Order: sequence, then C-alpha cells, then structure tokens
Amino acid sequence: MGTGADCAPDKRVGLESWEREMGSRKHTAELVAIAVIVAGTLVAQSRKEYRFNVGPKAGVSVVNTYGGISVKPSSGNTVVVNATLYSNKVEVDSNQIGNRVDIHSHLLEGADQNSGRVDYEVLVPADASITLHSSTGPLRAEKLHGDVTMEGTAAPVVADDISNAHVHVRTLNGPVTVSNVENGHVEIDSVSGDVTLRSVTGPFVLVNSTSGKILYNGDFGNSGEYRLTSHSGDIDAVIPDGTSADVSARSVRGQVQDDIPLQPKSHTSFVIKKGSAFAGTVGKAASSVVLRTFSGKIHLKKR
Amino acid sequence: MKCGELQQRLPEMMAGRPSLEEQAHLRSCPECAGLVSDLNAIAEEARLLRAAEEPSPRVWNAIEVRLRQEGLIRPPQPTPERVPSFGKRWGWAGWLVPIAAALLIVVGVSVRQPSRTRQMADVQPPAQLEDVAYGGMDDDQLLQEVSAHAPMMRATYEQNLRNVNEYIRDAKSTLAEDPNDEEAREAVMEAYGQKAMLFRMALAPSLP
Repeated sequence: MGTGADCAPDKRVGLESWEREMGSRKHTAELVAIAVIVAGTLVAQSRKEYRFNVGPKAGVSVVNTYGGISVKPSSGNTVVVNATLYSNKVEVDSNQIGNRVDIHSHLLEGADQNSGRVDYEVLVPADASITLHSSTGPLRAEKLHGDVTMEGTAAPVVADDISNAHVHVRTLNGPVTVSNVENGHVEIDSVSGDVTLRSVTGPFVLVNSTSGKILYNGDFGNSGEYRLTSHSGDIDAVIPDGTSADVSARSVRGQVQDDIPLQPKSHTSFVIKKGSAFAGTVGKAASSVVLRTFSGKIHLKKR
Repeated sequence: MKCGELQQRLPEMMAGRPSLEEQAHLRSCPECAGLVSDLNAIAEEARLLRAAEEPSPRVWNAIEVRLRQEGLIRPPQPTPERVPSFGKRWGWAGWLVPIAAALLIVVGVSVRQPSRTRQMADVQPPAQLEDVAYGGMDDDQLLQEVSAHAPMMRATYEQNLRNVNEYIRDAKSTLAEDPNDEEAREAVMEAYGQKAMLFRMALAPSLP
C-alpha cells in the first residue's frame, strides 16, 4: 500500500487529465451553443426588397424603432428599399401615395431591441426629400440634394455630401456628424450628443446642444449665418486660411480662447470681458458666426 | 408660400380649411405637414377627451401643482373637490388649457426655425405656462412613462432632463439680469426647445 505522498503524483495527473477533458467538453459545448445561436439568428433573419417608381422630388420616410437606416442615391426614378429583419417579431409596412413613399417597421407582440431590429438600405433619387427616424440607429444619408431630416434618440447620425437642401437632425444623446454640405440650411439639435461639422456651409447653419461638444471645421462659406450654442458643451471652431467671417464668442461662466488675429470691432452687443468673450472679423467678414455657451469653453483656432 | 407665413396663418387655417396655396405648401413641406398633422391629432384627441366624463386626474394634478408653484393658487385647502371642480366649472372648455398648452409647445418648437429667429427674439417666453406646456406632464411623469415603455433609457433621460433643466435655469437667470438682452431671450427659447425635443422623443412611439 502506498503512502499518501506516493499516490499524490498519480492523483495530480488524473486531475489534470480530468480537467483537460472537462475543458474540452466545455469548449465543445460553447461552440455548439454559439452555432445554435448563429444558426437561429440566420434562420430568423430575412431580407426583403421593395421598389417604387416615383417622380421628381419624391418624399421618402422611414420609421424604424430599432436598427439602422442608410440612404444613398439611386440611378433612376426608383426608390429601392432593402430591409434585413432580425426576427419574425417585426414586419415592414410599406405604402406609396402619389410621390410619397412611407416605410414603417411594425413591431409585433414581444418585440424588443434585438428581435425588433430591422436594418434598411435605401436608394432614392438624389433629389428626393427623406425623413428617417430610429431610436438606436445608425442613421446615414449621403450624396443627396433633397431635404434630409433625421431623428433618433441614441442613434449616431451621419449626413455626408448634401447640397442645396435642408439638413435637420435631432438626437437625444446620439453623436451627429455632418460633412461636405454645400448651400445647406442646417439645423442640428442634440441634448447630449457631440456634434461635428466638417466643410458645412450655407445661408443658415444652427447647432444647439445642452451638454454635447460642438466642433465646426470649415471656412464658414462666403455668406450666411452660423450659430453654434450650448449650455455646458465645449465649442471648437477650426478655420482655414482665407476664411471670411464676423465672429463673436461668449461663454457666461467658461473660458474663450482665440488663436486667430481678429480685426477688432467698434461695437458689440455685449461687453467684451477678456477670457470670457471675444469679437472681431477675419477676411472680409462675409459670414456671421455666433458662438455661445454658458459653462463650456470656446476655442477658435487655425486649421 | 414660406414656412413662416404658413405658421403665422396656422390659427385661422386650423379653424377652417386650408387654402389652395396652403395646401400646395403642405404637400411640398414635410415639416409643416408634420406640424399640421400634430395639431390635427391634438384636436382629434381633444374631441375624444370631450366625450369622457372627466379628464384624467393626472392632467389636473399637473396643472394644479404648476399653478401652486407659480403662486397663482393657495396651498391645498380641505376641499377635496378642488381639481374636479376646476373641470366641472369649465366643462369641456376646461380642456382648452392643456390643449392650448400643447399647441404652445408644438408651435413653440416650430417657430424656432431660423428664418424666424430674429422675430422670436421679440417674443417673451410664456412664463406662466412654460412647464404646463409639456402636455400637462411634469418631469417625474415623463420619467414614469419612459420607465414603462423603455426602462433601459430611463437613466439617460433622467440625466439629460437634469441637464436641460439646468440650461433653462441658467438661461432664465441671465435674462432676469437683463430683460433687454436679446441673446439671453434667445437662449431661453433654445433651452426650452431642447426640453420640448426631449419630451417629444420620450413620448414618440417610434423613439423610445
């Protein structure tokens, strides 16, 4: 009969072998579970395509509680909607009345953020006006010259390459990125989402946020009114050489910083208190730029 | 016709039928069409409410709380019929208060459009109705709605609501310091615009 000490190596080997085997079984079980989930998801997923013939300046609206919506230009006068449904707890309702197409994700009993998800890829004539709603997003519109309205709570929103159109975006905390907008009438409201504008110009550009940061990177165009306001979010404006703007910046309780040599103005609507406000012109002062915050920081700098 | 012109004619338009010019604008402008649709929905809702014996106590409670906060009515007296009597005294016309409040907020949001920004600078914020204006619903009630329909979003809405309220307080206090400060007035409108948007999102069926 061996001693306990004599038996110990055998026991250790046995334990290691048992652990290896159990580890292997566990690994196999995990793989099977993942495979079942993936297979289930694939089975539950379905794709649907809808086509509508429309005339010039059609209106297209997509309301999707959970999931993304991406809109790009189509080649002809057709609206093509490709929908990926993630379960049978959601349906797509589509409707065309005249020159208007409405798409709506219809949640059925028991649908949640996962099972109620639908992802849309939509092609529209470039001159169509679009309205997109989604709670989770993401929302994306690009290369269009019809009006764009996008609204989402947590949805990240991207609008890119839009011209001669209204761009209206509203989010609760979803970040907003708008870029390459020419001759746009831009209005962005976000309670706490960060807002980034790159090369966005037009007769009116307005951003209002409570606590989100606002970044404007561009030349403020050659005329127009730009108003970027926040309560506590910082505001950064990055401008290139050749910018022509009449800039006024004021932070009630925060700081302002101006890295650009502005031409001072003889009259301002508020008292210029060093460190908390500045005003002046750069170039020919073609555009009016108003930067306002209560407790955020404002920074005007050169690109 | 431009959006601003149509919105100025809204009261007359809602009372009667839209003119051909107005109809043409509504067909081409989703924003105005949406606004008119909202107003019609409110009017329709009001008609349904008229049929009810009494409005929801929640509505009267919210109004009562707000009026008390404004000092327009005294603290609760031993008259338990206070809130119902308000409704009884005014009959169905009493519904004009929350309806008007709802209209205020809808119109308030719409007139924030930039083309009218400067005109709005001359408009005083509706100091007495400002909080009643959110459909007779206060912040707590809104959060209860969010908890019921999208519990995972409650913390987000709570935090954002807190921030927006702070925005409103700061904007109002700046305006109080100098009532002639046009920018401060505009900031008040912008802050309320943020709150209106928050309420609208929280209550929109497609945006929990």
